[in-house]
Amino acid sequence: MTDWRIVAAIVGLYLIGNLIVGIVPGRRASATVAGYVAGDRGFGVILMYFVMGASVFSAFAFLGGPGWAYSRGGAAFYILTYGVLGMAPYMALGVWASRVGRKHGYVTQGAMLAHRFENRWVAVLAGAVSIVASVPYIALQMRGAGIVVAQVTNGHVPEWLGAAAAYAVVLTYVWHSGVQGVGWTNVFQGVFMIVIAWALGLYVPYKLYGGIGEMFAQLEAARPELLTAPGLGPDGTPWSPFAYSSAILVSALGLMMWPHLFMKAFAAKSEATIRRTITLYPTFQVFLVPLFIVGFAGVLHTTQPPNPDAVMPHIILSTGLPPVVVGLFCAGALAAGMSTGDALVHGVGSMTVEDVYRPLSGRALNDLTRRTLIRWTAVAAGVVGYVMALHSGRSLVGLLLMAYGAIVQLAPGVYLGFLWRRATGAGVVAGLMVGVTVTGVLVAQPGWRPWGVHEGLVGLAANLTALVVVSFFTRPPQEQHVKHWIATSRGAS
Amino acid sequence: MKRASRLLAGVYFVLMAVAVTFPGVRPFNTIRPFVLGLPFAFAWPTLWVLGAILVCYAVERTHRS
Repeated sequence: MTDWRIVAAIVGLYLIGNLIVGIVPGRRASATVAGYVAGDRGFGVILMYFVMGASVFSAFAFLGGPGWAYSRGGAAFYILTYGVLGMAPYMALGVWASRVGRKHGYVTQGAMLAHRFENRWVAVLAGAVSIVASVPYIALQMRGAGIVVAQVTNGHVPEWLGAAAAYAVVLTYVWHSGVQGVGWTNVFQGVFMIVIAWALGLYVPYKLYGGIGEMFAQLEAARPELLTAPGLGPDGTPWSPFAYSSAILVSALGLMMWPHLFMKAFAAKSEATIRRTITLYPTFQVFLVPLFIVGFAGVLHTTQPPNPDAVMPHIILSTGLPPVVVGLFCAGALAAGMSTGDALVHGVGSMTVEDVYRPLSGRALNDLTRRTLIRWTAVAAGVVGYVMALHSGRSLVGLLLMAYGAIVQLAPGVYLGFLWRRATGAGVVAGLMVGVTVTGVLVAQPGWRPWGVHEGLVGLAANLTALVVVSFFTRPPQEQHVKHWIATSRGAS
Repeated sequence: MKRASRLLAGVYFVLMAVAVTFPGVRPFNTIRPFVLGLPFAFAWPTLWVLGAILVCYAVERTHRS
């Protein structure tokens, strides 16, 4: 057994490093909402690249990715493709949003939609959906952090303490530095994640099988069904090609609708920054390849993990790696969870105040008050997530599925806001409500899905239909306003 | 140029979506040949992911001037 004290010391050092990297840049940001939420619109390519990459890949990818490869084989390939397909539309959407954001001063997706549709209810509803979807996601990151720390320290650091320590650090730098803290820590965490994933992905198959090709040749003989798409379903029987393909499409359409990702268009320094970030993004995405390799390495390993998501720490602990490497792995897993969690708590704080509280209260709040409110809400989101992480058991993954289905439903409103002048706020509200309801029902009743198609895709079809129909029956915003708004997004000043 | 490069990128990503989902992926969904040790069905989506870098770079270059 590795010495848990060395492992815990390395994790402790990593957390202290995070705290320093997170707190220092906050000194430069202006004390305004634009400074706290959008980094004074000054993020360059390096910051954007790591924010996007490290926020997309959560503890779920770092531990769940190898878990999928291990238990479901080729089903995992879907995770590899949707990230790039999902980032691609941002080449247009991100640039458009950044232009209107700069001109009209938006810092959230909801504020952008409310102004475009001249309807504050769009912001309130989009904000509420995003907030409700984000909290279980935060909880899942925290639990991931707690589980990994407990596992590699052999239970000497309990789950509740590991999660609490990691998130105390996150909340401190988010409180202090806002999006600047999220940005610079994500650079630190992103480098950690990438280096550790590649190091393990190349080392583990070499150590256990004598090479990557060797390993897959052995797998080909023993478990060939794991090596092609669509792999296996959650129950171990072959997965349906429909389910595989629709999962890619839904995830691709929905990825950038996550507010903690979309909002970063408002933090980018320029349009070129967004384009360069997307160009570089696939270099981050391929770090899934070594993670899957580690998962595949677990299939023919002499001992099996207690559950698929534990395959990564299981292999690390059972191959006799030195405690320093185990500690670094643990820090890498924490990095994956923290870099998503920080963007989420920051996003929830921003949306609660800017998209829900402000339009509903109707009060004029000064910049400083808003920033203070956002800080407190971000902390509250962290606390609620923590309580959920400790008390909700396995239902959390189910909640997350429902959350993803709900977030995807923001897509028609956002896309058509830029593409269809006739779309109305009432249409967007109706579409969102219909889409979320249909998706929710299908998550609860999976048997009702046609051909096993992803529930989010069915929800999207219903959403789009409702949006178009209701739009035709309601009055659009002033023509001049919409024309001008869309022209701004396309680069007319 | 700008328009053409954006069109190229759009076409690439649509092709990618077709090539990595069913039924488009079927002819490439095989274990052999191995590519750098990876089964072909695993290397295939990886290559599309890497190809996106070149395509996006082309778009970025035409916009720079």
